[in-house]
Amino acid sequence: MKLLHESSKTKILNGLVVMIVAVLGISQKKFTIGESSYFHLLLAELTSPVQEGLSSSKRHVVSLWNNYIAIVNTAKYNTILKKKISRLENDLFSMEEIRKENLRLKQLLSFVEESPQQKILAQVVGWDSSNEFRVIRLNKGSSHGIKTMAAVVTDQGLVGYVYRVTPNYSDVLTILDQNNRVDVLVERTRTHGIVEGILNFKCILKYITKNEPVEVGDKLMTAGVGGIYPKGIKVGMITDISRENFGMTLNIEVEPAVDFHKLEEVIVLTSPSEDLLHQDPLSSVTDVLVEDKEVK
Amino acid sequence: MRFRLSDIFVSYALTILLLLCFEVTTATILPLLGWYEYRLTFNVIVIIFFAIRLNMSFVPWMILGLQLIHSVFSIEGWAVGTFAGLGVMILASYLKDLIHLTNALMTMIVAIVFQTFWYLLVTFIICLKISSFDSFTSILWSFLPSSLFLSLIAPLIFWSLEKIWKTSNDFSHSGVEI
Repeated sequence: MKLLHESSKTKILNGLVVMIVAVLGISQKKFTIGESSYFHLLLAELTSPVQEGLSSSKRHVVSLWNNYIAIVNTAKYNTILKKKISRLENDLFSMEEIRKENLRLKQLLSFVEESPQQKILAQVVGWDSSNEFRVIRLNKGSSHGIKTMAAVVTDQGLVGYVYRVTPNYSDVLTILDQNNRVDVLVERTRTHGIVEGILNFKCILKYITKNEPVEVGDKLMTAGVGGIYPKGIKVGMITDISRENFGMTLNIEVEPAVDFHKLEEVIVLTSPSEDLLHQDPLSSVTDVLVEDKEVK
Repeated sequence: MRFRLSDIFVSYALTILLLLCFEVTTATILPLLGWYEYRLTFNVIVIIFFAIRLNMSFVPWMILGLQLIHSVFSIEGWAVGTFAGLGVMILASYLKDLIHLTNALMTMIVAIVFQTFWYLLVTFIICLKISSFDSFTSILWSFLPSSLFLSLIAPLIFWSLEKIWKTSNDFSHSGVEI
């Protein structure tokens, strides 16, 4: 064995080379759209199943806790529940009839209302591991038809857009992220503004001039400008307005419509077309959610 | 500190495995438990350990490798963290004589000092990239709770890494044995 003492010159040289590589990397880095290298694809495909497994195991743990551990007063509840069951069985019969009718009507409706936008239901399996970004990872990717820049919504409202995809997973830049800027309309006054994330699970509404009659409680929706988000998706609600003495615009705080703390399933809207930018997608989105629940 | 090349590979592979566990914990397990507000950026602590404790010429490349792993779990990417990691390494080389990780408290203090430096660099770069310094303080502020928590558990992480890298408290010798 030969002992090689550290050469400070080698260390400085290595440091310089890596520093140059890092600076070049920083200059090329975009926080608004991601590119997946083979290394990233490979590692994401290897590690994301672990994340997915952990996410799904939560349900099993909760179920185990609820069904086997936290069973106090079971016998007492059993008698009450038996009575409830007989009553519910009667209700179920009539509900089944309504469900069948609902399905028939839906089929009829889809015959006349064919949305060209594909809707993909996906589960949230992870969050970005850095503090300065608000990104979620979904369990569906390009092999399921998801593309970058596709809008992501829930029945509550807008979540964000797809930042990068791998064959089976995709990362979504949420509206809570400061790099995501959403062109919005104030529903009541039709005022245009830009919503940006501010890290603490809230957003700010920018570029609203002081003479605009916006109020606390006003609802915001996507303006349909920019080609990412279809028009009319709920974004949030104004919760605070402060008027500084200086400047031309208002400082407006926005509570997102989506409860990101309870985000489990989302819908990815792919292949946006020109027609959709002027459509209300939430009606059809709600349909997909309902359908998915029925399938479950 | 002397290292055999074969040991370096094993230690580095174990460090990557540990980092992967940390990243999955931060990205999935903690949010599942309801911890959404702050992310525990374990990669920062691991890189601080590399910068302080490993005196090898190719530590910059190792930092780059760790950041590449981190980039899978964060859109931050590898470049910003690598730059910050090298900054920490340079700072550590200047403060080498002052750093004595003799007890847990010292480790916590060192961890918070270097984390603060790291976050200042990262926040500055991000603000430059997004062409807005409006959110400089809010980004920096968001780091505080997680960096405090990470500093508290830094002795444990450092202890694990010391075991992986078999480093001693002696900084006086440096060299690579192959």
